[in-house]
Amino acid sequence: MTNSIDTSIYSAVTEAIQAEAHRILSEGQVSAIVGYAASRRAGSARPIVITQVGDSDKLIFTPACVNNLSVYLTKAKKEIPKKGKIGIVVKGCDLKALVGLMGESQLKREEIYLIGVPCAGVLASTVQPNRELTPDSIAPKCTECDSHLPTGCDFVPSETPVIPELDEKYAAEIARLEGLTPSERWTYWKEQFSKCIKCYACRQVCPFCFCDQCLCDRNKPQMVETTPRPAGNFAWHVVRAMHLAGRCAGCAECERVCPMDIPLNLLNRKMAKELKELYDYEACLEVNEKGPLVSYTDKDDQSFIK
Amino acid sequence: MQKQISQQNLNILLDTLIAEGKRVVAPRMNAGIPLYEPIKSASEMVTEQLPRRSGKEAFFPLCEDIMSYKKEGQKVTLKDIDPARFPETVLVGVRPCDAAAIPVLDAVFSWDYKDDFFLERRKKTTVLGLACTQADDACFCTAVGLSPAETRGSDLFLTPLEEGGYACETCSEKGEVLIANHKELFSDANGFKTLPLADPQTEKFDLQKVKAWLDEHFEDPSWDSIAIRCVGCGACAFVCPACHCFDIVDEGTEKSGKRRKNWDACGFRKFTHHASGHNPRDGQPKRYRNRIMHKFKYYDDKFGQTLCTGCGRCIRLCPVGIDIAGIVEEISKK
Amino acid sequence: MCDHTKKNIYLPYLATVEEVIDETPDVRTLKLVFQDDQVRESFNFRAGQFGEYSAFGAGESTFCIASSPTRKGHIECCFRSVGRVTEELRRLEVGDTMGVRGPYGNSFPIEEFFGKNLVFVAGGIALPPLRTLIWNCLDWREKFGDITIVYGARTESDLVYKRELKEWQERDDVRLVKTVDPGGNGSEWDGKVGFVPTILEEAAPSADNTIALVCGPPIMIKFTLPVLEKLGFTDEQVYTTLENRMKCGLGKCGRCNVGNVYVCKDGPVFTAKQIKSMPMEF
Repeated sequence: MTNSIDTSIYSAVTEAIQAEAHRILSEGQVSAIVGYAASRRAGSARPIVITQVGDSDKLIFTPACVNNLSVYLTKAKKEIPKKGKIGIVVKGCDLKALVGLMGESQLKREEIYLIGVPCAGVLASTVQPNRELTPDSIAPKCTECDSHLPTGCDFVPSETPVIPELDEKYAAEIARLEGLTPSERWTYWKEQFSKCIKCYACRQVCPFCFCDQCLCDRNKPQMVETTPRPAGNFAWHVVRAMHLAGRCAGCAECERVCPMDIPLNLLNRKMAKELKELYDYEACLEVNEKGPLVSYTDKDDQSFIK
Repeated sequence: MQKQISQQNLNILLDTLIAEGKRVVAPRMNAGIPLYEPIKSASEMVTEQLPRRSGKEAFFPLCEDIMSYKKEGQKVTLKDIDPARFPETVLVGVRPCDAAAIPVLDAVFSWDYKDDFFLERRKKTTVLGLACTQADDACFCTAVGLSPAETRGSDLFLTPLEEGGYACETCSEKGEVLIANHKELFSDANGFKTLPLADPQTEKFDLQKVKAWLDEHFEDPSWDSIAIRCVGCGACAFVCPACHCFDIVDEGTEKSGKRRKNWDACGFRKFTHHASGHNPRDGQPKRYRNRIMHKFKYYDDKFGQTLCTGCGRCIRLCPVGIDIAGIVEEISKK
Repeated sequence: MCDHTKKNIYLPYLATVEEVIDETPDVRTLKLVFQDDQVRESFNFRAGQFGEYSAFGAGESTFCIASSPTRKGHIECCFRSVGRVTEELRRLEVGDTMGVRGPYGNSFPIEEFFGKNLVFVAGGIALPPLRTLIWNCLDWREKFGDITIVYGARTESDLVYKRELKEWQERDDVRLVKTVDPGGNGSEWDGKVGFVPTILEEAAPSADNTIALVCGPPIMIKFTLPVLEKLGFTDEQVYTTLENRMKCGLGKCGRCNVGNVYVCKDGPVFTAKQIKSMPMEF
C-alpha cells in the first residue's frame, strides 16, 4: 500500500510556527525556542535552539520532524539556556512527555511556552528522510496515535490534520508476542538483545531518563554489567522498562534512535498495557504527581503476589 | 593482477573456506538488520545494504576477555588469553569505507605497544573488499579522499560486473595466496565491463584547510551551536569504522572473574570523569569537539591519517541528526 | 624499561603487599614486591613513570611509581581512596596480592638536571610523583646543586610522607620549607602557615641554573607558575606531571588526551612550555 498520507497542512503549520516564534521572541516573551530546522540531507530535519528573532524562519514542520524535543528541557541537558521562559515546538506525543515531566516536578508549566503542532504522522527511523509519508513509511507509533491535535498549548496553528486510517502496529505485535510460549518469547528477545551495543541512545533521548547518575553508570556496586553481552543487555533493557513503567509517554524515541533496530517501544507499551489492566492508569494524560508505581492504596490489585 | 570470478564460483569459494574450518565473516541479516557476522553458508551473504556496524569488529570486537583472575585466600592466579586461538578469517563483502579504516587503525594499535588482540586478528584475516554501486546522500567517502572503488585495506578487491560476477584485483600477498589456493574458481580477466560505480554527491574536503582551522580554534563559540543538540550517546562512535576508544572493566565476583575490553565513546558524559568529581570535558559541546578534533586533527598529528572514511553511518544513525560531513564542509569554507 | 616482548600488553605482573602505611586518614602507601623472580630482578623504571595498579574484581587505577628507581627490590604506590578501585585497594592487607602494569609514560630527564639546583614544589597528595625524583636525587646527591623542597597541605594531618619530611628537615644538604594552609596548623606546628605559592615566593629560590619541579592540584599550579615566572624561571626550567583519567595507560584507549597529547605516552611529565601550548582540557 503506498497511498500517501495527507501532509498538505504541514507547510501552513510551518508558516504559523515561524510567525509565532517571531512574535514571542521579538516581544521578549521567551528567551529561546526549541524547534526543528532543515538539515543538509534532502528532506531531513533536526532539533534547533534559536534565540535570535531573525532565526525564526529556520523553524519548520515536516514529516521528518521526528525528535521529541522535550528531552532538551530536562535537567539532563544542561547546555540549553534555562533563563526565562523557553518556547518549545511539540507534537501531541511530545506534549505527553512534558505532561509527565511536570507531574514529576521536573518542569513548571509557567516556564514553558507550548507551540503545539497538528500532526498526521512522522516518518519511521528506518526510512530515508526524503521519502513520502505513506502507511509503509510512517512511524509505527503514529498508527496508534490519539493526540494528533495537541491541547492545552499556548499556541496551535489553526490547521486540522487529516488523520489516516492505519492498522495499529504495536497492538498487533504485542498480541503476537503474547500468543507465543514463554520459551518462544525468550528466543525472540534474546535475538533482539543480542544486537544491543550498549550505546545508550535509547536512554539519552528519553525525556524520563533524567537521573543525574543512571543506575548503569554507578559502579559501587556495579549492578548492571556494562559489557554488551546477552546477560548485561537483558538486564539493562528490563531495568529501563521497569523504571519507565507508569511514566513512559509512548513517544517511541527509544525505538527510533536504536541503531540496531531493537523494537524497544514494545516493552514500554506492554508495561503500559499491564498498568492499565492492573491499576486503570495511563501515564502522561494529565499532570499527575503520583503514578501507581510510586503510590500505594489498599485497593491496589495484589493478585500477582503469589 | 586482474582476474574475474562468477557469482556461483564466489559462493563455492566461500562455502569451501567454511568447510575448511575458516571463519568467514560477511554481511548477513540478523534480526532484521545487515551486520558483518560469521556465516554458515555463502547463501547467507547479502550485499544490497551497508551493514549497520562497520568491519572493525572483526579485529576489534565489541567486548572481549583479556584475562581472567581467581582469588584463593591471599593468592591470585591470572589466566592469559592465547592470541593463537583467534581463528583464520576471511572477511568478505567489505565496503571500501570499512576496509580503508583497517590500516588506519593499525597505526594506533601498534603504537609502541603491540595490541595483539587486534594485530593477531589482522595477521590471520584476509579482506575481500567490494566496490559500491549505490550511495545515498549520507555517504561522503569521496570527500575524505576515498572512493567507492578504493582498494586500501583490502587484500583482494571485487568489483561487480555487468554480466554478473566480479572483477578481482589482488592488492596484497594475502590476496594472491587466496587466488593461488583456489585458482580453479578464478578466470583470467576477459574484457569485462564493470557496473557503474556509486557517485556520492559530496565535494572533496580540503582536509589540510580543515586541520589548519582546528589547529587554531579549540576555543570557538561555534562548538556550542554545532553540538548543543548532541545527547551524549555512543551510537556514532560504535558504528564508526575508525573509532577505537575502549574501556577496561573487571566483571565477576570477589573470588573470580574476567577483565574485559569493551567499546567506549568520548561522547559519554563519564568518559573523562575523574573519581574526584573533576571532568575536563564537562558539557556536551566539549565532548563533541573532541570527536571532531580527534578525527580530523589529532590522529593526523600523531599518525598522519584522518580518522574518518566517509561511510556516513553516524549521519544516518545520529538520534539528533548531527551531520559530520556538513560540519567539516562548513569548517573547510571558513 | 617497559616490556615490549609481553604478548598480552594488558596482563599485569602480580605483586605482594609487603607493607601498608597510612599517610593520612584517607591516603595510604602500599609497598609491593613482585611475585615473579625474574620480574623482581629486572623491573626497572625512571622517576616520573606510572603504573596501572589492579584490585582484581574492581579494576585498575593509575598512580605514579612513588618509590625511587635507585631503591631496588620493591616499588611503592600512594593513593587516596576516592572511588571503587582505590577503596578496594585500601582493603588489602600485608600478604595480599595485587597487580601492576608498567612502567608507563615518559620520565623526568634527570640527566639534564645534573649540575643544577633543584626546587621541588608540591601540594597535598601530589607529593608522591615528586618524591620518587627527590629520593633519586638524594641518592645521587653529589650530582646536583642546592635542593629545596617547598611542600604544603591543607592541614597538618593531610601532609603525606610525614616521617620523610622529618628526615629531609634534619639533613643539612636539603632545604625543606613545609607549610599548611591558614587555619590548618595545630598548636605544635613548627612549619610555615600560608598557601604553597605564597610560601614559595617568600622562600624565593634563585632561578639561576635551577630546575623547578611542580606537582599539585590545578588551583595550586595556576598560582605557582606565575610565582616561578616572577622569580625568573623560564618555561623550559619548570617541569610538572599531569594526571588524567586513564584506562589502558599505553596510548590506545583514547581517554587521556589533552588536545593531541596523550598524557600516558607523551607525558605525564611535561615542561611548563608544553603545558602552556596545550588546550585547557585537563
